[in-house]
Amino acid sequence: MTPLLSIAGICVDLQSGGWLSPGGGARVNILSDISLDLAGGETLGLVGESGSGKTTLARAVLGLQPTSAGTIRFKGADLCGPADFHAIRRSTALMFQDAAASLSPRMTVGQAVIEPFAIHHESVADRRAKAAELLAEVGLPPEMAARFPHELSGGQARRVGVARALALKPALVIADEPTAGLDVSVQAEILNLMADLKDRHGLSYLIITHNLALVRHVADRIAVLYLGRLVETGPTRQIFAAPRHPYTRSLIAAEPKPDPRRRRRDLAIKGEIPSILRRPQGCEFHTRCPVAKDICRSAAPALQALGPGHSVRCHFPETHDKGG
Amino acid sequence: MSSAGRKTVLGALLRDPMGAFGLALVVLFVAMALFAPWIAPADPIKLNVTQKFQPPSLDHLAGTDQLGRDLLSRIIFGARTALSIAVTSVGMAGLAGLILGMIAGFGPRWLDAILVLVFDSLSSLPMIMFALAVITVVGPGTGTLILVVVLVSVPAYARLIRAQTLALAGADFIVAERAMGASGTRILLRHMLPNVVGPLVILLSMDIPVVIMLEAGLSYLNLGVRPPTPSWGNILYDGYTSLRSAPYMVLVAGLPLVLSTLGFTFLGEGLRDALDPRLKGRGHR
Repeated sequence: MTPLLSIAGICVDLQSGGWLSPGGGARVNILSDISLDLAGGETLGLVGESGSGKTTLARAVLGLQPTSAGTIRFKGADLCGPADFHAIRRSTALMFQDAAASLSPRMTVGQAVIEPFAIHHESVADRRAKAAELLAEVGLPPEMAARFPHELSGGQARRVGVARALALKPALVIADEPTAGLDVSVQAEILNLMADLKDRHGLSYLIITHNLALVRHVADRIAVLYLGRLVETGPTRQIFAAPRHPYTRSLIAAEPKPDPRRRRRDLAIKGEIPSILRRPQGCEFHTRCPVAKDICRSAAPALQALGPGHSVRCHFPETHDKGG
Repeated sequence: MSSAGRKTVLGALLRDPMGAFGLALVVLFVAMALFAPWIAPADPIKLNVTQKFQPPSLDHLAGTDQLGRDLLSRIIFGARTALSIAVTSVGMAGLAGLILGMIAGFGPRWLDAILVLVFDSLSSLPMIMFALAVITVVGPGTGTLILVVVLVSVPAYARLIRAQTLALAGADFIVAERAMGASGTRILLRHMLPNVVGPLVILLSMDIPVVIMLEAGLSYLNLGVRPPTPSWGNILYDGYTSLRSAPYMVLVAGLPLVLSTLGFTFLGEGLRDALDPRLKGRGHR
């Protein structure tokens, strides 16, 4: 079966600064050689620290960010021109990290959720009823349609974002940090809502987050990004049970545990993510890697397959360690 | 914006004493300009040499000028001249600035670079000098005045709109529109426009008195509105030449100039306070 979304060898480069600024004009590699598949009905968790390129990847998929290499296929068709991207934007919805900011400030909630129909010139017999129906689907009362975005709470804005995302019955929903900035109880509500809608409409999700607990609960598969490179990808259960890349292991080890004594301090990552302007030589992760050896400083490892759907980019993928 | 939103802007404007005063003056002058033929007591260009230099009296509330024309009527029709030139030119400049600014801010970078270069070149010219140069080439008249004002003020408006548009272009709700597949035109008209016009309206309202002054100034120099069309500047000039025999003429022509300038400036400042989102909700929440 062809995957719903297939990304092959995507690279994104940006020009740094103006041509007059010091060191300006240099091409900075933001994403390099990312390949991912997403099957229909599947949830893929895209995990990484701030600045790892998660959001850029999501934008590249929708053609909001020009790519310098690679291909994106949606429903088996190559996306190459504006018309193709228009098509993928029609059947893919993007949910923003800051849901309130993603709503036009002078449009009411009712207008906002109907907006996708207007954009794609799809007539709606009764706009008010349609808005109410979409709001009901995300558990909001119809009176909410008259509100303006600045009058919404964080959880309500998020729900409105979900309602708008669902308006055109998309095949794929890209959710950027769907729970960021919400109370734990509201986080759970939003996640349950997303799971319900997935079952009801057969959605696929691409969830972008730094929150491991989140992907552990909702994702079928995980892809870990580090400095714009895919370092490990595989089925969620497998990755959490036996992470192979030291970065993945450190991320999992850094997760808060109910029993603090079980936390693995030896796997803690040291320091900060290096600047993308000065990529480390060799393996990008060696500056912070607890198991780095000489070869890691000189040669970049290739992505190697370890099992069905599980691959890792490391010279020394650990096998014996069960990752805390 | 909803009608409720408009009501609160007007409400905030009326609650501010300066804003209310400005609005009242502006309404007064606009009414004068619109209904000039009905409220003017006499024909503003009808000569009556036997009645020249009459000081203010019950027959001529503001007196008469050196040709015996009723000054109050000339002032009232002068409001029509001043406002029609100011509103036409500022309106045209505002519209052009809005369109060019949005194109510069939202369009391709090379177009932006060219437009910014044009704006900068135009705004480096001093207004009066530029006006004199254009009048020398094209000849004086109402059309020339409007042309000068439009050329000189477009850059300021376009730059304001460009900055607003640039700031909005990266906003999440604009990216969201693009992600949903909205066309550039739709984004510009439905989402950018309502969010960038507010500051422009304030600037336009504050620029109207500048144009009124320019018109009066050029007419005073006999380079603006051609006589016998009444203009506050013409009347001021006539008053100046006959300052000794009829000192009231200068006062009668100067007063509306001062009051309209104050009115539009106060209105602009009141609007700025009423529309400023940081001050929104002040006093009614």
